[in-house]
Amino acid sequence: MRFLVTILLALVAVVPAVAQKKIGKGQASGSFESTSIYYMDDKKLGAAPEDHFGSNNYMKVDYANGRFSAGLQANAFLPVLQGYDDLADGFKFYLASKYIQWRDKNYEILVGDIFDQYGNGLIYRSFEDRQLGFNNSIEGVRGAYSFGRYVSLKGMYGRPRLNTDYAKSWVRGADLVVSLADICGIQEKATLSIEGSYVNRFQKLTLGDNYDKIRFEETGMNTPNLNMYSGRLNFGWAGLSLRGEYVHKSKDLAPNAEKAASGSAIFGEVGYSYDSFSIIATYRQLSNMATRSSLYELGMANAINYLPALTRQYTYMLANLNPYQVAADGEMGGQVDICYSLRSKENRYRYWNFHANFSTFYTLKKRQTDIGKRRVMWRDINFDIERQWSKKLKTILLFSRQEISPTHGFQKEMYASNIFVGDVTYKFDRKKSLRVEVQYLYADRQNGTYNYEGDWVAGLVEFSLAPRWSFFVQDMYNIHKTKTNYYSGGFSYTYNRTRVQLSYGRNRAGYVCSGGVCRFSPAYTGVSLVLTSSF
Amino acid sequence: MKKILSLLCLLMGATSLFAQQLPDVKVEDLEGKIVSVRDLVKGKPMIISYWSIACKPCIQELNAINDALEDWRKEADFTVVAVSTDDARLKAPAKNMATSRGWEFTCLFDDKQELRRAMNVTLTPQAFVVDAEGNIIYSHSGYTPGSEEELFEKILELKKKK
Repeated sequence: MRFLVTILLALVAVVPAVAQKKIGKGQASGSFESTSIYYMDDKKLGAAPEDHFGSNNYMKVDYANGRFSAGLQANAFLPVLQGYDDLADGFKFYLASKYIQWRDKNYEILVGDIFDQYGNGLIYRSFEDRQLGFNNSIEGVRGAYSFGRYVSLKGMYGRPRLNTDYAKSWVRGADLVVSLADICGIQEKATLSIEGSYVNRFQKLTLGDNYDKIRFEETGMNTPNLNMYSGRLNFGWAGLSLRGEYVHKSKDLAPNAEKAASGSAIFGEVGYSYDSFSIIATYRQLSNMATRSSLYELGMANAINYLPALTRQYTYMLANLNPYQVAADGEMGGQVDICYSLRSKENRYRYWNFHANFSTFYTLKKRQTDIGKRRVMWRDINFDIERQWSKKLKTILLFSRQEISPTHGFQKEMYASNIFVGDVTYKFDRKKSLRVEVQYLYADRQNGTYNYEGDWVAGLVEFSLAPRWSFFVQDMYNIHKTKTNYYSGGFSYTYNRTRVQLSYGRNRAGYVCSGGVCRFSPAYTGVSLVLTSSF
Repeated sequence: MKKILSLLCLLMGATSLFAQQLPDVKVEDLEGKIVSVRDLVKGKPMIISYWSIACKPCIQELNAINDALEDWRKEADFTVVAVSTDDARLKAPAKNMATSRGWEFTCLFDDKQELRRAMNVTLTPQAFVVDAEGNIIYSHSGYTPGSEEELFEKILELKKKK
């Protein structure tokens, strides 16, 4: 019944997309997103949840009139989908964000829920990611002022959101950007800026029970104030770019840490491009940088700052099976990314795109390994070649070798996977096209046994009828260990800004990662309906 | 439960009366300079396409637009803006890709996702057609090979209205 109601809701959502009118001088816009799953029993995976149904829904509406704007977002879990247990235990309907804002030529002020970032986000980033069920916006006030293009300053104060409630803490911060290039009058030729940020978290240490009190005493966590400072330098000239950031963090208690400790981070990036060649190299070092909005809670969304995995993010199933998860307590490493394009001058529909990427991360501290020495936690070397042969035909070949330590470097054992992908798109005419993916994961063998789950094979066939319809079937099969098929099939229909996707299939358990945040998604078999619409 | 559903229906019904103009948000360009999105409105129609490194159809759409651009510009004068929604993790590789691909677009990097929120982009790819005054006159979500033609048809409709 609820599944039918959701479909009705989906139909209602289509209406706004086709009717648009202005009211007075103001105007409104918004979006609606809904993901509903009907869970089914599966002999391979076990029984479905008792309720058999989950539905996460998000409705956002904004109004703007000149320099004034306001908006709100309501979330409805009817009940919450499997794997989003931190968000709600069953049904939940709540106001997820609201704001009023005045944006003038040189200044702006916002009261409500703040989404913002200082620098690379190493000391502060508040954002929403619905796929992860993540929202750490700050409810409070933010102000910003710019002195022409020379200097810009912003500050904020408020309490951080923690899942569907708020953390019992206060966060304040300020960010300053000084454009030396504009001050020196060289802004047409180069970019040069020095930047700095400060963030403070205040949380009383007397809010919890006796267990918390003892934990704070034993770990040496004796101050309600956490201070973080960041200094940055950005430079760009011709095809060259340099970016650097240093972060210092005062004493803080990380999740599951034995001792409260101060932290630091170093970030450096150099890039160079010439014509259709470009290369970028990034280095990052983290020490005790996991920063929670509340010392009394655990969980994925309990974070003030943003520590993404600096590794390649893949679009292919088998290349995403075991993603790297950041070791915020101690890691050092980086990535190199190279792109080159070779294009025919006579025919725009004939070209080669080459791409290579290498990333590796090591432990930082002696206590992170059983031998007290630095050890690799992750290594990935990959390349792909894309060839547009003609208007009709395009092929992509990808190879990736990924090595991951299942113990985050504590023990010597490493899992290694070699992933091969072939991807062909053929356009029959202006509207009809077919895309086929073939993938194979070859796991390294050690002492006659396969690494982790052994080999995998996967395939996908997608037929599109532009601009409305797309149909797909895909399967992923584990050859050596579980011998399980993870199949799915479905279609999508798009009309302007509204898209509906209906699919059925078996989904593998695993981590869904975005940036530095990972959510564990349990395995399930079921029918899924996804609707997005904006207006 | 009924109340929640009624509220959602009411909200969606009410919002059918509204329209959208390009928001006044500042983002970074390929060289790292901060630009105002409203300043991109320079008396020409514009296609704005949202993309990210991990969004394969987004890159397909941008490649398709770039391939056809030479032919399209023989019939109409307009600009193309590609907005990357990649955050701190993938902003650098996104810039790398935008530089090497030879895209004849204005490339913007919305790593704080302020523009994305302001334009209510929940799903990528999403492409907009904006008229010469900065009014959003058309948008579509998703990409299937060939659907880029719809964007160009809207640009041609704008040309006829002139």
